[in-house]
Amino acid sequence: MIQFNRVTKRYSSMARPAVDGLSLDVREGETCVFVGPSGCGKTTTLKMINRIFEPTAGEIFVNGENVLTQDQDQLRQGIGYVIQKTGLFPHYTVFENVATVPRLLKWEEGRVAARVRELLELVGLDPDENMQKFPRELSGGQSQRVGVARAMAADPPVMLMDEPFGAVDPITRTQLQNEFLTLQQKVRKTICFVTHDIDEAIKMGDRIAIMNHGQLVQYDTPENLLLAPADDFVAEFIGSDRSLKVLSLLPVRKVLKRQFRMVSETAELSTVRASFDASERNRLVVEDERGNLVGYVSRSDMDKAGSARGWNRFIKPFPAFLPPEATLRDALAVMLQHDIGAVPVMEGRRRFMGMIYLDDIRSYVGEAYQERDSDSSTQEGA
Amino acid sequence: MRALRYFVNNLDRIGGYAAQHAVLIVIAIVIAVVVWVSVGIMVRNSRRMARGVLAVASLIMSVPSVALYGILVSIPGLGLSRQSAVLALVLYAMLPIIRNVYVALNGVDPAVMEAARGMGMSQRRILFRVQLPLATPVILAGVRVSVVMMVGIATLAVFIGERNLGVLIQQGLVRTRSDMIIVGAVIVSVFAVFIDYLFNKLERVLVSPGIRGDAS
Repeated sequence: MIQFNRVTKRYSSMARPAVDGLSLDVREGETCVFVGPSGCGKTTTLKMINRIFEPTAGEIFVNGENVLTQDQDQLRQGIGYVIQKTGLFPHYTVFENVATVPRLLKWEEGRVAARVRELLELVGLDPDENMQKFPRELSGGQSQRVGVARAMAADPPVMLMDEPFGAVDPITRTQLQNEFLTLQQKVRKTICFVTHDIDEAIKMGDRIAIMNHGQLVQYDTPENLLLAPADDFVAEFIGSDRSLKVLSLLPVRKVLKRQFRMVSETAELSTVRASFDASERNRLVVEDERGNLVGYVSRSDMDKAGSARGWNRFIKPFPAFLPPEATLRDALAVMLQHDIGAVPVMEGRRRFMGMIYLDDIRSYVGEAYQERDSDSSTQEGA
Repeated sequence: MRALRYFVNNLDRIGGYAAQHAVLIVIAIVIAVVVWVSVGIMVRNSRRMARGVLAVASLIMSVPSVALYGILVSIPGLGLSRQSAVLALVLYAMLPIIRNVYVALNGVDPAVMEAARGMGMSQRRILFRVQLPLATPVILAGVRVSVVMMVGIATLAVFIGERNLGVLIQQGLVRTRSDMIIVGAVIVSVFAVFIDYLFNKLERVLVSPGIRGDAS
C-alpha cells in the first residue's frame, strides 16, 4: 500500500542524510510504527509520504501511485494526518474542524453534518455535547480525539500519525491507545505511526520499523523484534526487560488451562483430601453444582478441617479475575499484587473459562525463547 | 465654566469641526487598512522585503507631523488640499498596521499551519481561512493604534487648510483663549474613548469566540 524505494533525504545544514536509502513496504490494513532515538529520521520518513518534506532521491508510492508526480494538495486530501500538538484550528468549532477536508472536497452540507456526527461518535465524543465547542474548551485527550476524527473525515485509506499520543498524560495515553486499537479493528486503515516510545510501538504496531541514523535497522512484527532482535542496537533499544514486554503481547488464552482438577462445593471432605493427594498443587478450585466458580481451598486448611462437611467454611473467593482479552503481563501483575499463583479467567461476569497458572507463564515464555534460538542456529548452519 | 459656556454658545460650529475631523479620519483609515494590510500580506513570506518595508515605515513615523504636512503640500498636485491631509494620516498608519499584519500572520501556531497544509489546503485558502482569522485580533490592535494616533495628528492638519477640531486648539493658542483649547482637547479625548468602544464592538463581530480573550 505504501512503498518506499531507496528514499534519501538530505538537509543542506546537516552532514549526514536524515533518511538514507530507505526501502520498505507497508501492507494494506496494517499499522506500521516507525520508532527510534530522536534524530533517527522517523518523522522525516513519515512526512515525506504526504510531501510535507520532499525526498532528495528515491520514490514513494501510495496505492501504486508515485506521490511526487501527484498534485500536492490532492494527495494530502486523500491522506489522514494527525500530529502531536493536534493542530486544531482554534477559531473553528469542533464541527468545523472535523468538516475541513469534506468541505475542501466540496461535499454537500447535509453529508458533511452526518459524517461529522458519525466520526465524533466513533472516537467516543458525544456529538451534541461537543460539536459547538471550541478547541480551547477541550481537554488534551478530547483534542486528540477530535484530531483523529478530523484526519478520518473523508475516509482516507491511509493515515499518518506523528506521535499522536505524545502530549497527553499517561492515563489518557493508555486510554487513547486502547480506543485506537479498537477503532483500527473496525476501520482497518493503512497507518504509519511515529513514536519514540518502544512500548507504544509494541502495543500499537502490526509491524515495527526500527530506525537509527536515517537507516532502517529492523522491520518486523513486535513478537519477532522482541524474541529475535537483529543486532545489539535493537536489543538495547528494546530494553533489557524485553522478556517482560513479550508478556504484554501474549493473550492469556495461550496458556489458559481449561481442564484441571476441581472439586464441587457439595463434595465430602474425604473426596477433597483425595484430590489433594492426587495433585501437586497446594490449592484447589471449588465449583458449584452448575459449574460456576466459587473460590479455592488450600491444602493446609483441609488438614485442619475436622468434620466431614464443615470444610466449606475454608473456601476463599479469588481476589481478582481476568477478562479473556487480558495479556500475560496483566496476569502476572494480578498475581504479584495479590500474592497468588493462579488467576481465574472470566468472560463477562459469570462465565468461567479456565485458570492461568504462574508456572505455565514461565514455561511458555521459556519455550518461546528456546524456539527462536534453535530457529536462528539452524538458519546459521544452513 | 467659561469653557462650558463657549461650548454651548458655539455648538453648531463645534459640531461642524467634529464632523470634519471624523470624515478625514474615516477616509484615511479605510485607505490605510486596504493598502497596508495588502502590503503586509504581500511581504509575509519574505523576511527581507518585510524588513525593508518596515524600515521605510519607521522612517516616516519619525518625521514630525507638521513637517510631513509641509513636505506633502510642496508636492505638485497635492498642495493645500484634503488629499495632503489624508495622505499624511495614511503614511503614519503604515508602521503599526504592516508590522502587526506581518507579525500576526507569521505568529500562527506552526502546528496549526502544518495541520492545514497536511490536510491539503491551498496557500490561498490557508491565508484566508486560517492565518487571517487567527491574526485578526493583532491586526485590529494595529488599526486601533493608528486611528487613535490619527485623531491627534488630524488636529495639526488645520495648518494645511482643514477646518476640524484642530481649529479650536490652534485659535485658542493664538488668542490665548484657554476655554477654546479646553473644549478642543476634551472633544478630541472623547473621540479617542469612543474609538476604543467602537473597536471592542468590532472585535466581537470579527474575531471568532474560539480565540477571543474574554469569553470562555
